[in-house]
Amino acid sequence: MMEKALIVARKEIAENLRSVRYWAIIGLFVLLYVASTYAIGFAIRGFGGLALGGRARTVLQLSNQVVNALTYIAPLLGIALGFGAIAAEREKGTIRLVLARPIYRDDLINGKLIAAAVLIVLAIALSTALAVPLAVALQNVNMTAEDFARLALLVLPATLLALAYYALALFASVNAGRSSHALIVSLVLWIFFTFILPIIAAFVAFQILGPPPAIPFNATRPFGQGQLPRQFQEYYSKYNQIVSTIQLISPTARFSSLASALFALRSQLDVYEELTAALARRWVDVAVLSTYIAVFLIASYIVFLRRQETR
Amino acid sequence: MGMVEYVIETENLVKVYRDRSGGVRALDGVSVKVPKGVLFGLFGPNGSGKTTLISILVGLQLPTSGSARVLGYDCVRESIEIRKKVGLLPENYGFYEYMTAKENLEYLGRLDGLPTQELKRRIPEVLELVGLKEWVDAKVKGFSRGMTQRLALAQALLKDPELLLLDEPTLGLDPQGTTMFKKLMEQLVKLGKTVLISTHLLHEIGHVCTHAALMRSGKVIALGSLEELAKAYREAKGYSYELAVAGGAEELLRELKGVEGVTYVGLENDVIKVRASRDIGGELAELAAKYRIKTLVPLAPSWDELYQFYQGGGWE
Repeated sequence: MMEKALIVARKEIAENLRSVRYWAIIGLFVLLYVASTYAIGFAIRGFGGLALGGRARTVLQLSNQVVNALTYIAPLLGIALGFGAIAAEREKGTIRLVLARPIYRDDLINGKLIAAAVLIVLAIALSTALAVPLAVALQNVNMTAEDFARLALLVLPATLLALAYYALALFASVNAGRSSHALIVSLVLWIFFTFILPIIAAFVAFQILGPPPAIPFNATRPFGQGQLPRQFQEYYSKYNQIVSTIQLISPTARFSSLASALFALRSQLDVYEELTAALARRWVDVAVLSTYIAVFLIASYIVFLRRQETR
Repeated sequence: MGMVEYVIETENLVKVYRDRSGGVRALDGVSVKVPKGVLFGLFGPNGSGKTTLISILVGLQLPTSGSARVLGYDCVRESIEIRKKVGLLPENYGFYEYMTAKENLEYLGRLDGLPTQELKRRIPEVLELVGLKEWVDAKVKGFSRGMTQRLALAQALLKDPELLLLDEPTLGLDPQGTTMFKKLMEQLVKLGKTVLISTHLLHEIGHVCTHAALMRSGKVIALGSLEELAKAYREAKGYSYELAVAGGAEELLRELKGVEGVTYVGLENDVIKVRASRDIGGELAELAAKYRIKTLVPLAPSWDELYQFYQGGGWE
């Protein structure tokens, strides 16, 4: 049943592995990883050589940079693989030769999806495997096997994020007559979720809560060395709640939240929380990302099955 | 006489493309029957509905109404079965440019369901048939329009289909390529295949077809074999004959002019051209026996002439 889908997947994988574009994306990822992790070097070592925390906290800061890099890398990878999936075939006319074969249309989409999943995992795993040791060496961070394992596990939420954007781009591709149109729509959605939605969320929170309360200056307890006033903590708790609620629809925000669970530390301690417990609290993130993938894939199937290839 | 077997049968096929202005009727009640084992022409100018009809036959598009069967399978419900047995050369197609000719054919052949051993045998065979054997490992990106068209023909032949649907197959081919194509089509028909050629270039490949449907503005304006369609033409425009003689034809010329219904007799390079308002084949055969006539040929009108006759003017 899946035979035709696997034929499509094999061809897609082979074609991408031979393309300059795919390897350029991986090269770009490694550069972005290394640059962003290197930039945190100062923070890791602390201001003026003063360390900001223990070993796990240092790894946490490193992982934050990796996660930050992945919030850009993974969606762009998903979009790069998805925007041309159908629209480019339509544009080049290859779709007419393919659909003239005894192949069901869902086999074509399934094949492309399988190929995309393989290529996404490969690209993220490869670039992480190349960049993280390099960044660790550059920052001279003492990492344990568990640290590496947790960093390696980042491939999973990153793949979910990439697939969510792949599904969005695929949906645009199925609907578009030209791949450039699908690319523009996909990028607009990425820009919205990554840059515009956080601004909207902050704006809405600010409109609801008003300006934050003033902090009385205390020369004996400078900022960063003591507890913030309770009134201020409450304000920011409400602020974060509103921002999080609005950003619930953002795949990028869900990924950040899910990825951070991998490096959650026990309160006041320099050791990781148990992985299953930390992840169990983030089930909503997994659900939202999975919903994106499922909804846009199903929508793509429906549109593609109903659409007639007129030209 | 046995029953004629039809490989394509459409019944009142309608296709409407909806748009803001209401819709365009690309096919307007098309009923066509294509007999098995013939070279069938689907003739008409651009926009007459040829491509839409072919797209419906292989399930790339759905009809708005009407029915169509190909090789006995319903075009809507059983299009996958049709595509297993039909080779299609679509009008607007493309290949994976960064793949070689062989890789493209391997991929398409696998989607056709051909096993690896069969592909190894068929790919060199079809590439040789279309004159691309030496380009097997060349990337399609470097192919000329004509070479791409040959490769498109190769992919249609790959599964050795019972029925070939070729949409504007000679577009982009040079004269050598067109000659190769015509010979190849005639060979395929001799092997018992049915070939449907859709084209607006009647003068280029029309004459290889023995049957045709003439289309205009989404409608079939005439359908049948060349002989069947020529009958009405001859009745309206007259009959033409050519007689090849071996000199000394003065007496014959006089006698021909005396035959009832003859409107024109002319001699040029030992060939007498005769036009008549009725069928004078019988009388001419008698004269052929009496005089030293080498050959007697009743001339058939060209598809071009037939098209213009049936639609009452030029392409438009």
